[in-house]
Amino acid sequence: MKKLTSLALAGALALGLASFTGQASADGDPIVIGAAIALSGFVQPYDDGPLKGAQLAIADINAKGGVLGRQLTIVTADTKSDPAQGTNAAIEVLEQGAELVMVTCDFDFGAAAALQASAAGKVTFSSCAGDPKFGVQGIGPLAYTMALGTPAQGATLAEWAYKEKGWRKAYIEMDSMVEYFKSLCANFKIRWAELGGEIAGEDSFNFAEVKTFDGQVTRMKASSDADFVFMCTGTFDGPALIKQARNAGVTTPILASESMDGAFWLDAIPNLSDFYLSVYGSMFGNDPNARVNDYVTRYTAMHGAAPITAHSMTGYSLVEAWALAAERAGSLDGDAIRMELDKFNNEDLLVGATSFSPDLHINLFRGMQMMEVQNGKHAPIKRYTAESVPPIKF
Amino acid sequence: MIILQYVIDSLSVGGLYALAALGIGLIFGIMRLINFAYGDLLMMGAYAMFLMAAAVWPITILGGVVIAILVALLTERIAFRPLRTADPSVLLAASFAVSFFLQNLVLMVMGGRALGVDIVPVLNQHIVWGELSVSLLNLFTIAISIALMVGLSIFLNKTSIGVNMRAASEDVRMARMLGVRVNLVIAAAFAISGLLAGAAAIVILGKTGLVLPAMGLRLTLVAFVATVIGGMGSLTGAVIGGYAVGILEVVLGGVLPLALLNYREAFIFAVVLLFLMFRPGGIIKVASLEERV
Repeated sequence: MKKLTSLALAGALALGLASFTGQASADGDPIVIGAAIALSGFVQPYDDGPLKGAQLAIADINAKGGVLGRQLTIVTADTKSDPAQGTNAAIEVLEQGAELVMVTCDFDFGAAAALQASAAGKVTFSSCAGDPKFGVQGIGPLAYTMALGTPAQGATLAEWAYKEKGWRKAYIEMDSMVEYFKSLCANFKIRWAELGGEIAGEDSFNFAEVKTFDGQVTRMKASSDADFVFMCTGTFDGPALIKQARNAGVTTPILASESMDGAFWLDAIPNLSDFYLSVYGSMFGNDPNARVNDYVTRYTAMHGAAPITAHSMTGYSLVEAWALAAERAGSLDGDAIRMELDKFNNEDLLVGATSFSPDLHINLFRGMQMMEVQNGKHAPIKRYTAESVPPIKF
Repeated sequence: MIILQYVIDSLSVGGLYALAALGIGLIFGIMRLINFAYGDLLMMGAYAMFLMAAAVWPITILGGVVIAILVALLTERIAFRPLRTADPSVLLAASFAVSFFLQNLVLMVMGGRALGVDIVPVLNQHIVWGELSVSLLNLFTIAISIALMVGLSIFLNKTSIGVNMRAASEDVRMARMLGVRVNLVIAAAFAISGLLAGAAAIVILGKTGLVLPAMGLRLTLVAFVATVIGGMGSLTGAVIGGYAVGILEVVLGGVLPLALLNYREAFIFAVVLLFLMFRPGGIIKVASLEERV
């Protein structure tokens, strides 16, 4: 018992010391960036890339002398893929002196941590939450996201399909698992109707279903006059749906968004062809933008493997953006940095030209790299920016 | 022609659900255990197939099925045997624990990202016959589900261990007094349940090409629903329930207007609710489960 007590005491002392050293950030000490993200659980794959991207950005900035003459360092805390744990994770990194809090790549999973960081007066960034609510309206004036907003993603894909491919009849397949997919489809349809495109057929499926998409595929085949199938889904269900459609002889081109990024699922469908998607950048070393390819090379050197998806670029760019704003503000004060961030007007970041304003903390007019998959290989087509984006609903 | 397409879809989806419902129904019949870890046997089998994907496909799928059986036997030996005399609610809680453990184990070792694999390339082809086009996988699903059901029926009726199993599901204590080796019978039931999960893993992997730690969850729920509709404890009921849910799902997908498609599950669960209200025993009532006054 005595041993146990002394152990507990030692533990408490160690914790106390840790928070003590965390609080005392003298001018020469490194500036702490906190990542309150999913380090375990089923959201972990979505946060892993952005975290590694952020680590690379920190290394790059440190090599150029840091921010305000101080080096950057990163601390992490695990939300365990549980939205409720976000608050604790944010407190953990704030106690270690975090000046910027990076949160999960999703509104639902990142909001709690972001609220906590905002309450502490720190700027907080989600890497790739596409919901425009992630910002002033849903969290507070200190919250930002590096994603391209979902309305813009839907509009980009609609315009590209209509103008670049000349497609006129869409078949729409919607996964109703998360808000992002529903919003993507809804905004695609708004822009598609404005352009004068037709809808050959529509279907939707639910996350609760077993992945037997026989019914969906039969319906898809019944609309054989469609020029393409637009899928609002991700890598949980998308590959299964595509596999079953192709196996049943549906050869119609398929268009999808950045949530289908990555080559890791292509083994499910050998020699997949006529698949098109928008991504933040090509992670295959063939992006038209040399800076993206350089990023992939250096990311690979640092982490031992290439980025699995381009979402990692949003992690890089959020550190990039914050560091620029802090340097311009000449201070680490949250509000001072916010005012500088809100002045961003087509700022040239890795992820693309980035703008913020006092009431919009998500981008709507930034290009996405269009990619095609032929015979199981990704190739870039061109970078495409929507001309018109449906109004945002918060 | 479109009708025939729906018939084939229904038989294939229903066959898969019937396999899963049998796996759950078999264990429930003998132990009164609603095994929520059933889908995780499927998941373990699927991950094993993913890891053995480099081998020729018969080895890959055989390996996966063997792993599913082994995991089923292990969960029986470690988690459920010590609790055999416990209340069914304790068993249910234990099965949640087993499920949680297996999923987190895989999450820890393999990560949470979906991993792609194409285990039986030949099943990716489809046959075109007029307007009808049927994937080989669907034909395979129909065939393997019927084969396993017929096999199970022969096993239960013609072999001594099968007869013992049926006796144990009628009344475990009486069967034991009459010399039925309950440990062996229950282990055999778990092995069969693992075999059925392994077969379902081949079908699911063939359809989706993806392994995920939570991949078995949805099938477990559907199988559970099917056993409720068919009649808890009855194997014939489980098969009927499985096909009923499959047909319902495909038909609803075909006839529901788009606005309601998202709520397809709600319709299926409404049917379950109606059963629970008006025929709680399911389509086939099991005498041994009724309260005796």
